[in-house]
Amino acid sequence: MRRALGWLAAALVCAAPHARAQDSVFGIRGLGFLDEPLTGRSAGMGGGYALFDGGGVTNPASIAAWTGAVGWAAGAASRRTFDPGTGAQSLTSTRFPLFGFSTPLSPRLVVGIAASDYLDRNWSVEQADTLTLRDSAVAVTDATTSAGGITDLRAAAAYRVSGQWAVGLGLHVLTGSSVTTVRRDFPADTSYHSFQERSSTDYSGVGVSVGVFATPAPTVILGASARFNTRLKATGADTSARIRMPLELAAGVYYAPLPSLIFSSTVRYSAWGAAASDLVAAGQERSRDVWSVGVGLQAASLRMGGQAVPLRLGYRWRQLPFLIGGNGLNEHAFTAGLGLAGARGRANMDVAVELGSRSTGVLTERFTMAVVGVSIQP
Amino acid sequence: MARTFAWRSAGAALLAALAGCGTDLTTAGRCPELCPPGSVQLADTLLASPVLSDTSVRGYVLVREASFLLASNLDSLKSVVLLRFDTLRTRWNPTTTDTAVLGVVDSVRLQLSIVQRDTAAKALRVVLHRLPAQFDTGTTYDLMQPFFADSTLWDTTAAGGIPDTVASGTVTLAAPDTLRPLAGDSGIVALGLSLVSATPTALAIGSGNQGVPAPVLFFYVHGHLISDTLHKDTLSRVLSLQPTFTTFVMSPDPGQPASGVLAVGGIPTARATLRLGLPKEVVDSNAIVRATLILTTLDPVAGFARDSFLLAAQPILRDFGPKSLLYPDSSIAGVAWLHPGQSGQVQLDITRLFRLWGTTTGDSLPRTLALRVVPEGSLLSAANFRGVAAGAGAPQLRVTYVRRHTFGVP
Repeated sequence: MRRALGWLAAALVCAAPHARAQDSVFGIRGLGFLDEPLTGRSAGMGGGYALFDGGGVTNPASIAAWTGAVGWAAGAASRRTFDPGTGAQSLTSTRFPLFGFSTPLSPRLVVGIAASDYLDRNWSVEQADTLTLRDSAVAVTDATTSAGGITDLRAAAAYRVSGQWAVGLGLHVLTGSSVTTVRRDFPADTSYHSFQERSSTDYSGVGVSVGVFATPAPTVILGASARFNTRLKATGADTSARIRMPLELAAGVYYAPLPSLIFSSTVRYSAWGAAASDLVAAGQERSRDVWSVGVGLQAASLRMGGQAVPLRLGYRWRQLPFLIGGNGLNEHAFTAGLGLAGARGRANMDVAVELGSRSTGVLTERFTMAVVGVSIQP
Repeated sequence: MARTFAWRSAGAALLAALAGCGTDLTTAGRCPELCPPGSVQLADTLLASPVLSDTSVRGYVLVREASFLLASNLDSLKSVVLLRFDTLRTRWNPTTTDTAVLGVVDSVRLQLSIVQRDTAAKALRVVLHRLPAQFDTGTTYDLMQPFFADSTLWDTTAAGGIPDTVASGTVTLAAPDTLRPLAGDSGIVALGLSLVSATPTALAIGSGNQGVPAPVLFFYVHGHLISDTLHKDTLSRVLSLQPTFTTFVMSPDPGQPASGVLAVGGIPTARATLRLGLPKEVVDSNAIVRATLILTTLDPVAGFARDSFLLAAQPILRDFGPKSLLYPDSSIAGVAWLHPGQSGQVQLDITRLFRLWGTTTGDSLPRTLALRVVPEGSLLSAANFRGVAAGAGAPQLRVTYVRRHTFGVP
């Protein structure tokens, strides 16, 4: 039974009928596709637990939840379907959007580091056309591919002020690069030779985040965080740009009316509108301020092998900052998951599945994503 | 137990995630919403005078290095073949302990490898003449004419006929029984071959170079053991003689190409060198997707009927004038088929050559190319094109290239 569950978890990752990771066809616009790196537990609860998740990167105070040294990682595999008007296409990808390590330095002070996807710039577009060259019609195929993205490296410290209060401070470094490759083929005429050129863009920026938890009642935790970013510097082969980055605010509630029942929700606001003028100056479409909401439920009614196996359900909705053809892009997903604990709680695996879609105007991308998160406390 | 289960589950899931899931991100573009900014911009231009200078030189493959020997009685080209064979032995060993002495020559055969002939020309006959063994290897057609007089004729009316049905392959001809080394020639047989036919034509036979079989003489001889004091012809033997030197001489001598002419091919083989001057927009372009060298023939392409051949434009590694080194990778060359009698424009695709010049290894190469026939030395075919001084018929270059692509940030 246990072995079967293990393989079921693997199957959830890869055999889901339609899945998304952090990639999207809409990542071609703006700075890329805004990621939402979540642990397997938070993903199963629709992101509602993100603000309180010790493995998350939203609130630096969240690592105060760790009572010992811990390392964690999440992997996500996805399949997407997208119809650009010429027939539905199935896309797949695999990412490892989050990993980190944290350890207490004292009974009250916990420090940690984490790396997570911030903006994803993995996409590939292929177009066919017919040109008139040397007085003849020549079929051409253009493929533009981007690979890479921007990673958020965070060093954080959290301090348990009292039994009711915890605060945290995070220092963020945004770093990464993307390589764009342009290729033109002449599939029907060997007289013409293919052309390919690539260009790399490097990204850098810094940010600071602060967070707080308050426990007004034994079953309720309130949380809030804010993140301030400097401009993001994008440096290409022969040009560069500086993009204002958003102020990011988040607030949430954690409610556990029963020991085996948890309700959690997180609301976030990101002032991406600040980047609009810089993006327009760089030849991109405008960006907008965005909201996101996640709600989730965890019930630990199922037991397996003497261990509680929490079941999770959730829903999330969010706006994405970069406009597509002047229209806003929204995303929503239903989520479900479960947690498996081993080694007396020192080795945990959380599995989640998301079913959702994102759409703008008449364009819709449907996705299914499987997330597997692992945390190890040696 | 629980610990083992957790590790197995995590391992299985992550292994599957790593190995079992592929990545396919490619979608069809939906413009303008989901198309990348900027597009590939092509430009097509005809460069009317891309060649700064040209030279043609003959002599890359000499007559004696050619794979064929040419006998011709064409009005436009007279040619005779000169052969010097190995020494005819006067003794041989029928067994490991016996020695035989050459007696009577019963018959002689000359085996030729026909490389090419005009099948429309009938009644071809190879006529054999005696030559002094030590004829001058640098001789000319005119100097050899005295040796092709009636007095030197070795042929008889029964010898030298090539069946009309034979277009290529090996033929063995009866040679006169009197074909023996001349006195004072140290047993060396030297022959001159000329051609007689019903209508003027040319015949190419193998020379022994480049793997093409050379003419061979077979002597069917009788002899006797050296111990046989009665000299009874009790032994027979076939002695074969391979040539030690083969060449042919022709008139008129092709000489060096005239100034302003791009000459390729022929024997001795000619090559032409073109030094290009490319405009900045082509040099600075991202990539050449098609480049075509356009040549104009000066006169119809020469050669045997149906003897098409390849014209190649090959990059040069170092420009030392006539002794320039060709770039060793022949796959870079642009090629075009030429057909005897063809005239007008000839186009060669030299895109690979431009691509080579655009690489870091090829950037230091001179923007110079050599025109030559392929393979050299095994064809009589030749072509002459108009050079840079010809004005309207001068070489042109048509280039389709990608303008500088702007990626932009972010």
